[in-house]
Amino acid sequence: MSHVDEGLLHAYLDGELSPAEAQGVDAHLAQCPECRRRLEEERALIARAAELLALGAPPDRELPPFRAGDVKAPTRLWWQVRLPLAWAATIALALGIGTYLGRDTEPARRAETTTDAAAAKPRTPAEPVRELTRRAARTPPAAQPAPPADGIARPRPELVVSQADTAVAYAYAERAADSVAGITRRKASQDEHDRWQKGDAIGIDSARRVLGADPLVVPGVPIEAVYLGRGIGYSGVVIVEQALDSTTMIEVINARSAPALLNEVVVTGAQPVRSRPAEAAPPPAPRPAPSPGAGLFHEVRGPLSSDSLAALRRLLRPLRP
Amino acid sequence: MPQDLAEVYRTTYRALVRFLYRKVWDAERAEDLAQEAFARAVVHKPDNARGWLFIVAANMARDDARRAARERRHLTLLTAEPQASEPAADDALHVENERTRVRAALEQLTPRDREVLLLWDSGVSYEAIAAQTGLARGAIGTTLARARRRLVEAYEAGQRGEHVARG
Repeated sequence: MSHVDEGLLHAYLDGELSPAEAQGVDAHLAQCPECRRRLEEERALIARAAELLALGAPPDRELPPFRAGDVKAPTRLWWQVRLPLAWAATIALALGIGTYLGRDTEPARRAETTTDAAAAKPRTPAEPVRELTRRAARTPPAAQPAPPADGIARPRPELVVSQADTAVAYAYAERAADSVAGITRRKASQDEHDRWQKGDAIGIDSARRVLGADPLVVPGVPIEAVYLGRGIGYSGVVIVEQALDSTTMIEVINARSAPALLNEVVVTGAQPVRSRPAEAAPPPAPRPAPSPGAGLFHEVRGPLSSDSLAALRRLLRPLRP
Repeated sequence: MPQDLAEVYRTTYRALVRFLYRKVWDAERAEDLAQEAFARAVVHKPDNARGWLFIVAANMARDDARRAARERRHLTLLTAEPQASEPAADDALHVENERTRVRAALEQLTPRDREVLLLWDSGVSYEAIAAQTGLARGAIGTTLARARRRLVEAYEAGQRGEHVARG
């Protein structure tokens, strides 16, 4: 058998030969001292080349967080692009609510379930919301004067968006903005990432000042860092990084809603529903209401399943000094 | 798909930076380009994200190198002498020197040999290297053998040259 050529030796040493090819090389090496010698030479060469390349390697740095939506547009920063859409969203939202008001109990009840589902599960608001906007867009109020199923037209707390959870309001606004602008390329899970922009690292005291309360954290998990954040519709955002283990970092987002922005606008849009009875059930709490966190929005994100994240979210407790 | 891409990001980002760094020789720039490649992947949603990313990265690095070459021509006119007076720690200086030597050695390879070597060193398989460079899969081993040999030879020749120059 002819000797094994250099390229084959390298492929062999790189582990890139098929099993059959590798066997062929093995068989030849077993009976050819010359090729065995060359094999060792090539092995040394490969090691030396790898060593040199390592000298020319970049400094090892931490893996920056993956922000899927963070497509670079150097001339336009994200808030310049998205804020106008948020305003367009409020208009769309107002129209959508108006549409619902013109309808009767049955669709209203459906709308309510949609809202409840969205409020109870703010991590995945995209689906019901998208459906809501789509349906609202498709059905003008006069087009479907569906008679009430039970004959009684009760006023119902259809869209308690105003106080329910700013997350839901936000999701509504953003989703509506997207459909208004015809932008649908982003997916729900990516929204989670580009919704919160991480800024400078800050201290715990600054975080308290920003939020006006103790930031919530997952108790018993070491805090790696605290960052100032940004999110549309929130005047103060604090992101707490906690290390679940050496490779898993979660981020707890604490956000104080900005009353001047979405809250107010959404309330205006929902005003005609004001007749809702006083005994109507309070909006579903997104978590077992921790008292100092009232008025604050909280979210946990990280490389975990949404169930795990939701579980972590339920664990959140205020950080005490 | 986005989940997949997040996974690809986790497993490929550093390799991509490593690959890009040997082309632009600037860590910040390499990271910027890598992130931009991922940003494009988010939009394009390629089927084979990893292979796609290396191709896009190679193209971006090439464009970047052209731009850098233009800028360098201006800079060489401006900087008369290298800043030899900069007080760098010995270790840092040594690392920097080694890096410069490796860079010089890499630059003596043919573009194709260099590309194959850098791709392999960033963890790209023969199969994917073949797909990206247009070489036959069976030629990758030979190309790598040649590239490695030339790299080592050029590096050692550079060192000898330096010792001679130092006297």
